[in-house]
Order: sequence, then structure tokens, then C-alpha cells
Amino acid sequence: MSKVVGIDLGTTNSLVAFVKDGAPFVIADESGDTLLPSIVSVDGHDIAHVGREAQRRLLTDASRTVYSVKRFMGRGIEDVKGEEHWFPFRVSGEAGGVVRVHLDGRELTPPEISAFILRELKRRAEAFFAREGDIDPEVAAAVITVPAYFNDAQRTATRDAGRLAGLEVLRIINEPTAACLAYGLDRRREGVIAVYDFGGGTFDISILRVQEGVFQVLSTNGDTHLGGDDIDRLLVQLVTDDVGLDPAARPDAVQAVRKAVIQAKWDLSEFEETHIEVADLPGRSEPYRRRLTRAEFESLIAPIVARTMEPCRRALEDAGLKASQVDEAVLVGGSTRIPMVRREVERTFGRAPHTDLNPDEVVAIGAAVQADILVSGRREMLLLDVTPLSLGIETMGGVVSKIILRNSTIPASGSEMFTTFVDSQTAVDIHILQGEREMAPDNRSLGRFKLRGIPPMPAGLPRIQVRFQIDANGILSVSAHELRTGIAQTIEVKPSYGLTDEEVERMLIESFEHAQEDVDARLLIEVRNEAETIIAATEKTLRRPDFVEIAASRLTRPELALIQAALADLKQSMGVPDRNVIQVKAAALNQATEHLAEVMMNWSVQAALAGRTADDVAAKGR
Amino acid sequence: MQPDTSAIPIDPCKHCGSGAPVDVHFCPRCDRILTLGRHGDYFTFFGLRRRLRLDVKDLEQRFRALSRLFHPDYFHNATPTERLASLERSSYLNDAFRTLRDPMARLEYLLKLEGFTPKESHDSTTKVPQGLLEEVFGLNEELEAIQDMRAEGASASEIALRLSAARRPVEANLDRHEEQLHALMSEHDACLEGGDAEGRQSALSRLRTLLLERTYLMNLLATVRRETGAAEAAAS
Repeated sequence: MSKVVGIDLGTTNSLVAFVKDGAPFVIADESGDTLLPSIVSVDGHDIAHVGREAQRRLLTDASRTVYSVKRFMGRGIEDVKGEEHWFPFRVSGEAGGVVRVHLDGRELTPPEISAFILRELKRRAEAFFAREGDIDPEVAAAVITVPAYFNDAQRTATRDAGRLAGLEVLRIINEPTAACLAYGLDRRREGVIAVYDFGGGTFDISILRVQEGVFQVLSTNGDTHLGGDDIDRLLVQLVTDDVGLDPAARPDAVQAVRKAVIQAKWDLSEFEETHIEVADLPGRSEPYRRRLTRAEFESLIAPIVARTMEPCRRALEDAGLKASQVDEAVLVGGSTRIPMVRREVERTFGRAPHTDLNPDEVVAIGAAVQADILVSGRREMLLLDVTPLSLGIETMGGVVSKIILRNSTIPASGSEMFTTFVDSQTAVDIHILQGEREMAPDNRSLGRFKLRGIPPMPAGLPRIQVRFQIDANGILSVSAHELRTGIAQTIEVKPSYGLTDEEVERMLIESFEHAQEDVDARLLIEVRNEAETIIAATEKTLRRPDFVEIAASRLTRPELALIQAALADLKQSMGVPDRNVIQVKAAALNQATEHLAEVMMNWSVQAALAGRTADDVAAKGR
Repeated sequence: MQPDTSAIPIDPCKHCGSGAPVDVHFCPRCDRILTLGRHGDYFTFFGLRRRLRLDVKDLEQRFRALSRLFHPDYFHNATPTERLASLERSSYLNDAFRTLRDPMARLEYLLKLEGFTPKESHDSTTKVPQGLLEEVFGLNEELEAIQDMRAEGASASEIALRLSAARRPVEANLDRHEEQLHALMSEHDACLEGGDAEGRQSALSRLRTLLLERTYLMNLLATVRRETGAAEAAAS
């Protein structure tokens, strides 16, 4: 039987997971990597690269490389105004239509770009099952996660991406809920759980009640445009302002800065201070180096962290609970590694949050658990989620009449009666909106529906019942009946920020034409990935605040010189398209750092024995 | 009044063609989930009598048990008819639970079921209910006086103080309404148990009046609270 996997299609990284004999696990690629950077890059030969290789191309070929495409899913050009110049790629689109990303002369929609990522995950999983000797390694279906606060257009775009990647999307589930399922597996506790999910591009908070194996979401809130990306952008701005760099003019340079600030951000989750280092920037002969302390970083990001607190408050209010009634808090998403975020969550919910599962992997694990429930039909666990936003229709004067209220358990349905305004009218227009505001233009337009085939009758006589159904994926469908004649009406849908079925079909055909793979290119990528891991680990050690102290007492000068030479050598070879060269240099660095690794291990053991915490060690190096 | 059990309507099972009584969720013959079709009401769906004071814990338990029977997760490999039936039944269950869980929504729903609906829905929010005329009149006078104060240049904090004073009698009245509503609900349930149809109709009729008044008071209070909030914001 072909496999059903769970996929976390993230803003920054994507993962695929699977449940085998009741045990979920994340599937790694050939080089042991579980995270697939959600980056897609097209080279001059019309070959798409996904993941680490695309990430490297961000520095060498920024204008043909797309990252954070999730921010554009189900959105219009007017939604992304003001931030597009931070991206190296160009975006366009008609007002009220889908965003298009320009990629090497082609204009692709966000679902098409996401499909590249999904295809890579599908390939990764199939390769894994094949390695395991499975008779049927094919992956034909998946459960894909989305932020809880995603609207209908964003969910539909995600489902379209799955279809384009050749995956039947069995279910779309919410990321915080998935995380809760993952945690629920090994604890089976009952009570109220708050899931704080702060990822690369989105923030979600969900409040759940777990009882008798039923995971019932009580309320959800969030911001689909708030995440680690925003923190990165603040830091990039800090540097570009510092050196007077115009981000729009030098996309490559911005990517180099971005890489450096992300590294610094990671460092500050561990150490009290670090340096932002960029080897070469336009108009500078010297490498750029700037000290950044944790305190400085925290005052910079405080407004962003503060923006997550209002949704928490509202979610609690909607659940009818006080913060003190929350039994457990769970952290999800890479941005929750930031100590300040952990402190704020602890302050808000009055308890230390759970961090035992890897915040990067927990969502994919939950998706795999849900996939397993769907396939096996086992009933001990059940997920009952809610729709994050109210659904309504525009009525006279542009006022919204709500039909399904936010935080309603899904599936949910509602209906509304319509009639005609002129004699013999045979069609009625319906404008569907999602959101909490009173007036139609302040809400998200989901689409305009045209109701046709109404039997000609005097005005006001037809009684057309329109039924709105939100399924378990949080996706809407609409049907209509004229009650006097019993005739079912046809409904023509024009999604506001989505693709029509015909567009998806066309894209599907086109994507098959481009489906080709280059084995050599793939092997090169794998070698590069491994090399990059060694480089990152070595650089991290060298950057430690206490490294000078360690090196002075434990390493010889020639030893240190050898490490630095091997590191520089390997970094230089990364650009060479020859996997043998890279492999040799990587092995050399590995050998050169063997003793260093031993030293570092002993150092941390001794520090622990001396009762010093990692923070003390870091502080001492200041 | 007991539910009419003399003639149980039968809905056909789309799979085996046999019939099933309304509000049976699965076909007695082929055991497949039944399309929603014709059905009773939220109470019978949960297997409950039309009581107004429900044990919420028991309701939640029934909700979870029924969710486990209907949820689309478990019909993912079933026929399209079963999948649709599961979707419909789950939606209906969720709507029913949302309504019955909240005492006021439950009351409103029962009044509708028993034919005690207000003629026009906007009547209930715009027309002042008889029993509140005096109170609303007094409050309006007070609000006008506050308006004059504002015109004469009274400080925002003074206005906020006066507004919250004006609010107090409305809040007290609302509390009284809640109390009376709960007492009447118990009376209704007692009549239901005792088979006292007439008493039950009378209770429902009084419940409707109280509920309309309560809705009106809530709207009134929301308006005064908004004003108070604005005045407080201006004061700070």
C-alpha cells in the first residue's frame, strides 16, 4: 500500500514525517538532514533546486531564488506592499488577484513554488522507503499542516500546492493542533493546553482541552504575518543602515547580511553576546563586524514579541478561560528558542512551557500522527479543530452578515435565504467574506459566487437557500437550492486570491513536462550539504566568546592555524561543481578538528563539574 | 408535553434501502452511517428530553462520544455517500453542541422549537419591551443630562463617573433577570417531568418575555459601556 506521510510546509524549513508501527519519526535525507530549507532556486538550465542548494544560491544568484514563499500563499499583491523590496525576487499581480513571483523569466504562483518543496519532500520520503526495502515506497497522499490562523484562500492554496506536487491532500490540519497531537502521544494527559507557535513567518496561539483522547480546540488566534522573518529583517536593517547599503540595489549583499544576522540571532539564544560578521560588503575593504549583546537584541525585538501577547489574551477570552486555568503550555516553532520569548510565555501563562520535543519537528510529527489516524481508522485519538475566522456574506450597504462564527468546531455549516429584487431575475451575486469586521471591505474577500438558473418568478418570490459548509480542513464549499421548485442551483466560483480548478489543471500538466532529475546534481548537493554542516559546527566553536581562553590553554598555534586553513579551503571549494573536491576538503577539515572536538567536549564537562552553567561560561568570555 | 411517538417517521437508508427512524444515526440493518435527511431537533439528536437545565458535563460526554462515531476522519476510505453523511452529521452535531452548551442559546432554540419566536427579529432589539419602559425612560433622561454636562464643558472624568453611576441600575436589573430566568427554567423542567403541558406553555411564554427584556438590557448596557469607555479614554 502506498504511504501517507505528514508534512510541515514551513516558512523557513519543511519536514516530512511518518508513523511506523505506532512510532512517529521525521524522515531525513541521504545526508541525515531532517530540515529542508523552504527555498527554491532556478538555474540558467531551467533546473529547479530546492533546499540547501537553493539556500547557497541565495548568495550567488539571489534574483532567481525564492524563500519564505509561504508568506505569499493565498494573498494578493496589496497584502505584500511595503515588504517586497526586502526580497531579492520580484513579485507582481493584479489588484484582487493572486501574487506572482518572477523567477528567471517565468511568473509562478505561490502554490507552484510550494509544489517544488512538496515534490522534494515526497522524493525524500520515497527514497527513504526504498532504502528501507519497502515493496511499495510510493507516497501518494499526505496530511499537510498550515498555521491555525490561515484563512480559506491560504488553505486552498496549500491544497493546490499538494495537488501540483502529485500528492492527494487527505487533510489540512493546524500547526499548533498538530503539535499538541505529537505531545499527546506520550503523555496522554487531560486538561487545558496552550500551544504557542512562533515560527518563521507566522504566529499562532491555540487553546485546547484534552479529554478522553479527544483534542478539542477551544479557540485560536494569531497573526499570519508575524514571525522570525520580521526579526531577521530588523537585524538586516540594523546592518544596512550601519553601512549605508541600499537593499533594493544589492539583493546579493542583503542575502549575505541576512545569513550573518540569522547566525547571530541563533548565537544569542545560547550566549550573552555575539558578533554579526559579513566577509565582504559592497563599498567596504574590511570585513564587517558588529558586536551584539543579548540585551541589545532583546530591546530591538521586544515590540515583535509583544505583538504575540494580544492574540494570546484574545484566545483565552474566546475560550472563556483565565491564564491561570491553563494546565500546560507548549512551545512550537524555531522562534521559541529565543530566551526572551520563553520568558514572556512563562509570564503570560504562569508556568514554564514544555520544550522537550524539538520545536522544529513537533508539527511534522503531529501531521504524521493524524495521517496514521486517517489511514488506520483507529479511534482512540480524535482531533476537533475550529475555524479561525468568521464567515459571512455582504448584504445591503456593504455590511457583513455572519453565517459561521469564528472558533466554531469544524465541520460546521450555516445557511442563508436569498431572493430576487426584480421580476424574472434568474441570477444572484453573493460575495463571501472572512473576518471579524463589520464592513465588507475590511474583511478578507474569499470569492464572488454567482447563483444561476433561478426559475423566473416575480421579484421576492424565489426562496433560495444557500448552504455554506466548512469541512474538516477548514475549507469552504457552497451549495444552493430554490425551495419553491426544489431546483438545485449551479454556483460559479471566482476565488479572490486563489486559482480556479482549470488553472490548477493546466499547471499540473505543465509541471509534468518539467519533471526531470539529474542524479549527478543531486549527489553534488548531498556532498555540499554535509560539508556545510561541518563548516557551521566549526565556525560556531570558533565564535564562542570563551574560545580565546580555551585555545590559549588547550590548543597549539600550528593546530589552530591548520584548522583555520582547512576551514577556508573547504569554504572556497564549495563553489566548485565537483563533488570529489568538496569531499576531500571536507574530510581534511574533519580531521583537523578532531582534537578540537575532544577539547570542547572536555571543556564543557569540566565546566559542568565546576558548577558553572553555560551562561556563566559565556559571561566570563565577555 | 411528551414528544409525539405515535407515528415515528422513517427515513430510508441509501445503502441497503431499509428504513430507519429519524434520529437513529446508523442503519439498524447494514450498520452504515445514515445521511442526515429529515431529522428531529438538537435535543433528540443528543438523545435528550427538552429540558432547559442540562448537565453540561453529561452533554460534553455525549458530544465526544458522538464525535467519535461521526467524524470525517473515520470515513476517509468509505463511499461518497457515507463521507457526505459523516460530514453532515458532524456539522449538525457541532452546531447542536454549540447551541445546547450555552443556557441562553439553548433557551432561545427551545422557544423557537415550541413556536415562541418573535414576529420579526429586529423587533426584539429596537422596540422597547413593555416591562422596561420606565427604566429606559429614566436612563435616557440621565444620558441626556450627561450630554448637557459635556456641552457645558464638564471634565471627561466627571462624565465617566456619572456614566458608570447610570449603568448600575441597569446591571442590577440584568442580574434580577438572570435569576428569574433560571428559576423559570427549573419551573419549566418540573412541568415537563410532571406532564403539566399547560404549566409548561405558561413558563415558556414568560421565559420569552424575560429573554427579550434581557437581550434589550444587554444591548443597552453595551451602549452605556461604550460611552463610558470613550469618556475614560478621553480622561486619561
